[in-house]
Amino acid sequence: MAKAIRMKLLPPLALTLLLLGLFVFVPMLSAFEYSIRTPATGGYGWTHYHWAISEEDFFHYIFRSTWLSGVTVLITLLILVPTLVWIHLSDSKIRGIIDGLSLLPLVIPVVAFAVGAQISFPEFVQNTVLELPFLYFVLALPYAYRSLDIGLNSIPLKTLSEAARSAGANWLRTIISVIIPVIRGSVMATIALTFALSLGEYTLTVLLHWDTFPTWVTYVAQDNILGAIAISMMSLIIPFIILTAVTLVIPERNMQGRK
Amino acid sequence: MSSKSLSLRNISKRFGTVNALDNFNLEVGVGELVALLGPSGCGKTTALRVVAGLEQQDNGLVMVSGKDISDMPAHQRNMGMVFQAYSLFPNLTVEENVAFGLHMRKVNKHLRLKKARELLELVGLDSHNKRFTHQLSGGQQQRVALARALAFEPEILLLDEPLSALDAQVRVNLREEIRRLQLSLGTTTLFVTHDQEEAMAVSDRVGVMNHGVLEQIDSPDTLYNKPSSTFVASFVGTMNRIPTQISNGMVEIFGIKVVALKRGQESGNVYALVRPESIEVSRVAGAGHAKIITRSFMGASSLIICQTPDGSVIQALMPSHYSGDLHPGEEVNLHITLNEVLVSNV
Repeated sequence: MAKAIRMKLLPPLALTLLLLGLFVFVPMLSAFEYSIRTPATGGYGWTHYHWAISEEDFFHYIFRSTWLSGVTVLITLLILVPTLVWIHLSDSKIRGIIDGLSLLPLVIPVVAFAVGAQISFPEFVQNTVLELPFLYFVLALPYAYRSLDIGLNSIPLKTLSEAARSAGANWLRTIISVIIPVIRGSVMATIALTFALSLGEYTLTVLLHWDTFPTWVTYVAQDNILGAIAISMMSLIIPFIILTAVTLVIPERNMQGRK
Repeated sequence: MSSKSLSLRNISKRFGTVNALDNFNLEVGVGELVALLGPSGCGKTTALRVVAGLEQQDNGLVMVSGKDISDMPAHQRNMGMVFQAYSLFPNLTVEENVAFGLHMRKVNKHLRLKKARELLELVGLDSHNKRFTHQLSGGQQQRVALARALAFEPEILLLDEPLSALDAQVRVNLREEIRRLQLSLGTTTLFVTHDQEEAMAVSDRVGVMNHGVLEQIDSPDTLYNKPSSTFVASFVGTMNRIPTQISNGMVEIFGIKVVALKRGQESGNVYALVRPESIEVSRVAGAGHAKIITRSFMGASSLIICQTPDGSVIQALMPSHYSGDLHPGEEVNLHITLNEVLVSNV
């Protein structure tokens, strides 16, 4: 019976995956094909990639955007995980309000954040590029919040945290040793979403007059569009490497079928 | 095991308008197993959670061997706790679960895994140490939870309805196992349950709670045979409420006058509270006329449900070999086998 249902679902599932694959990979492959064109000879080559690697600024900006994104992820996890655990355990009516507030970054124009940051951040924060992760955190909030919320909803949080505390774990150990490993999937999704959003953020960065990888790529594109595409293609590797590293740091345990 | 005594003094706890614990007092001796029994919402779980530090009392003291731990955080109290929902950590193996408390106490890995295996051997799960918790049955998971609670040698063991989610046979086996372990380790234990059979079977003393107050705490035998209030009498075991009249400290039941205990009034209508095993059903002539409605065979004994002419339904529990020839629809007589009974005016 179950096998028959699976066989019946297979064709639409395959078609959906095919369409999704086309939607994701066709533009990427097209961009890649475009980036290896050599207009001078009319053929293909790695000229633009060689140029990109030889650019000193390439490594400077990719490194800067990577660490800024890393800091954003840290801020997101440090603020959101304890807050959401508290909200879930408190059974408070405040949960509905915070749910609503977490969506605000989707409707508030980015320029308002930029102006708000200029007005509210102390000068010593505005003078350093570290103001960006705090603002990236706000931009990533709707996605990160929901990802963690779903994870915490899917586990018996109250019982697990009480079991950990009665066994001798303080709140910090309870979150690190029990809750985060149990909602590993949600934490990974939060890291991926926050990291990707921060790595590619452009508008806010430009408005606050900072230079990061996306702003540099735009600058490069003004003179060398093929070089800019080559740089963008190479930058795709960064999230892949980072997420692989995170996967190794938070190893998956055999939890299939857990109740 | 470094077992200690537990003392709750004048504990009060409110949730909004609900008084969960009202000036609650309890003493548990070293190595003793005390069960808290009561209907839903009587405050028994709140009392346990206050002891564990998972709930902060509004007033009163929690003392362990004379030391006030009222404001101590849960993780510093050194109390092992087993929950109704198994509450095992799904990301850890069975032995890692058991060793968790020792890990939190910074015991080195070799020693904590050795201790975990010893505990798993005690609960008969030493061959399952590398499994994940979802690979175990409910009973096995609760055994792991018990081993986890005992692994770090807690001063007090707290059991919050640990058998409620299990099948009948597993419950009986596991409750015996809990008692065996508790006796062999000598751990002071507070056991919360709504199942009176469970409480009676494993406890040194049973406390019956109602509306946040401890109505009576005694040995299972005393609680059953000498209940101190009508609530305890009605809650523990089955109790017939036979309408009668009290006069000069005596009540008449099935034509026989017996002494009324705990009487609230000297004359008028009251209910006599009589256990089913204190009533005999027979064809011998008497004043307790009744008609048998049903007879349920329960092995060594049979439960006979009768109706008296005034409409009261009376339950009698008799040895099966004495009641084998009694049948539904038959006119019989009821006899009381007691000289004194508890009465209630409500």
